[in-house]
Amino acid sequence: MKIKQYPWGVALVALTLGLMLTVQYRSSKEINETPPIARVQTLSNEIKEKQEGRNLLQKRAQQLRERLDKKAASQSENLSEAMDTSRIIAGIQAVTGPGVEVTLNDSNVELSQGQDPNLYVVHDEDVLKVLNELKAAGAEAISLNGIRLIATSEIRCIGPTILTNKNKRIPAPFTIAAIGNPQTLEKSLYLKGGVVEQLKFWGIQVQVHKKANLEILGCAGVITLEYAQPVSEG
Amino acid sequence: MNRALYLSIGFVSVILGLMIAFQFRTVEQVDAGVSSDRAQLLTNQLKEIEKEMVALQSETNDLENKLAKAAKGRPEASEAVLEELQKNHQIAGFTELKGPGLEVRIAPVQKEGQHNGSSLFIVSDEDLLLRVVNELRAAGAEALSINSQRIISTSEIRLAGSFINVNLTRISPPYSVLAIGIPDQLESSLLIKGGLVDTTKDWDISVTKQGELLLPAYKHRIKLEYAKPLREAK
Repeated sequence: MKIKQYPWGVALVALTLGLMLTVQYRSSKEINETPPIARVQTLSNEIKEKQEGRNLLQKRAQQLRERLDKKAASQSENLSEAMDTSRIIAGIQAVTGPGVEVTLNDSNVELSQGQDPNLYVVHDEDVLKVLNELKAAGAEAISLNGIRLIATSEIRCIGPTILTNKNKRIPAPFTIAAIGNPQTLEKSLYLKGGVVEQLKFWGIQVQVHKKANLEILGCAGVITLEYAQPVSEG
Repeated sequence: MNRALYLSIGFVSVILGLMIAFQFRTVEQVDAGVSSDRAQLLTNQLKEIEKEMVALQSETNDLENKLAKAAKGRPEASEAVLEELQKNHQIAGFTELKGPGLEVRIAPVQKEGQHNGSSLFIVSDEDLLLRVVNELRAAGAEALSINSQRIISTSEIRLAGSFINVNLTRISPPYSVLAIGIPDQLESSLLIKGGLVDTTKDWDISVTKQGELLLPAYKHRIKLEYAKPLREAK
């Protein structure tokens, strides 16, 4: 009996060994494919350099815009106002004014076993709702963690961070600054059955502060229309 | 015989144990090292900055040209300013735009024996529209409208009574959402497996790719009361 079993045992062991060797080989190959830290370092340096260059260009564009705006102002006041309004709505122009600052942070509720922790963190939809509420209450300019939101800004959950304006990653806590009538903005969030009440249900920490003076920067980069074209009139 | 068997099993166990330990350590090493994800992230970031720089460069060139034109004389100056204003209006959403994109039609599913009254678990119009618009934005939509209301940076989508208000204007189902962008990209953002269309049961959502869409201009007057342009130090 035992003599018969013996070769089977060896075969099994050989098989296991073979499998493990393969796994081992593959994982060590993976390690070799991971880029060395040096590569990441050069990349970060390059990014830093480019960022500086970009910021300089951004400043230059801003200065040029202001010079052009002065020309507009010298022509007529209406024109200058129209220019400001369109720039602010487009999200190009940095603005200042009264408003509210809303901070959203993940729940600090202690989870009991079996509860889904997913329900207790801030989601893209929560942020989306708060933003929508602020817009409905007449917010004129909004930023999320310092990033100006424009007509095409999306709010996307990627793991614990939120993605907006295509590639801008922001981690919690989320701070939304909105310029508008502070009372109206605050009230809209605290409505009965409103956003704050819903979020508090899940223990998400919401703080709303009225501010007499907020500053919201313009959208970084340039907003370009690649697919949309103007409709020629007439 | 028995003894030989035990010995070989013991020997194999030792080898196995060693291999597992080794395997474990290499896996740990991979985690501690720089993952290829990070390098990928940085590369993307770099590309993004480079794209921004190109856009900024053409923006500053454009502004410089306008300023040069404005320096020539009074009529040229007003022409340059009007051009700039027109450009801002386009980005802000104050003009009609045309281009390729996606048409999304959203209608409530008619079910027999179900009252519209018990809407506790039905996805609300507001939530659905917010999500559709957000998905389309994430897929690179450059301009959006819902039932002939253009979505600009301050547009809300809000339940008011039993209707939806967009830009303080009442709209009602069926909803038609238009988005200018890359048609395929916009479509797949909604049709992706497990995506919005897949998971929404109480609504009938149909999407059509369009070669040319015409998006309405934002039609309401905007009077900014709180947001004031923040100029750089003189």
